[in-house]
Amino acid sequence: MIVETSRFGELNVSEQDIITIPEGMLGFSKIDKYVLVEHTDDSLFLWLQAVKKPSVAFPLLEPQLFELQYKVELCDEDRKILQLEDLKQAKVFAIITIPNDPSKMTANLKAPIVVNVKKRLARQVILHDQDYPIRQAIFADLQRHCATTQRTIFPQSEENTYQIIPISEEIAIPAEL
Amino acid sequence: MLVLTRKLGETIAIDDDIKIVVVQIKGKQVRLGIEAPRETKIHREEIYLSIQEENKSAAESQTTSPKKVAKILRAS
Repeated sequence: MIVETSRFGELNVSEQDIITIPEGMLGFSKIDKYVLVEHTDDSLFLWLQAVKKPSVAFPLLEPQLFELQYKVELCDEDRKILQLEDLKQAKVFAIITIPNDPSKMTANLKAPIVVNVKKRLARQVILHDQDYPIRQAIFADLQRHCATTQRTIFPQSEENTYQIIPISEEIAIPAEL
Repeated sequence: MLVLTRKLGETIAIDDDIKIVVVQIKGKQVRLGIEAPRETKIHREEIYLSIQEENKSAAESQTTSPKKVAKILRAS
């Protein structure tokens, strides 16, 4: 099927790449189908794009890129909604806010997205017991990360090209739970 | 909205399995104890609201072109 998006143009999506977020994201409870989009180059960001709302897309990063000690403790309700039997099926992403000045970008470590890659189910979990910030500045950490790897924070080409990330168990490694 | 008056140590029962106790009253602050099944989601409302707000900001993030990044980094 073709998914219209305001940032990435038209994307060709197959049914098995669609992720369901049964309760929606907080503040977006009516939107429950998403796909993961990535740039085709070595830039870091992934995007969680709503299938039926072209303008809604959340930038995501693996939290280990800027918070090495990050640990997510799931409650029983989280596991139930995610139908999670084995933590190896889970992948955690931090939701990033990129303002007009991208060097002021922040990560929400209090309420990350957890994806059960086997069932293609996701939930935005709230980490009750852990004292993580909702807005943590991360740009300097990403610059440091990119300085030691071959990756870039943003795409290097003016011609942005994007692709759908197939949801498979491969993306679940390494899950830090 | 149902409004009830309670004294220190008194309880409100909701359904068969939720209890809210007034634990302490100090000036304008009230401490409440809540007993509820594990699956009941209980949060200070402002945490919910600030995560909703942050999600809205995150969903407005735009992709960034190299030119734009270079311009901003030069300016800063």
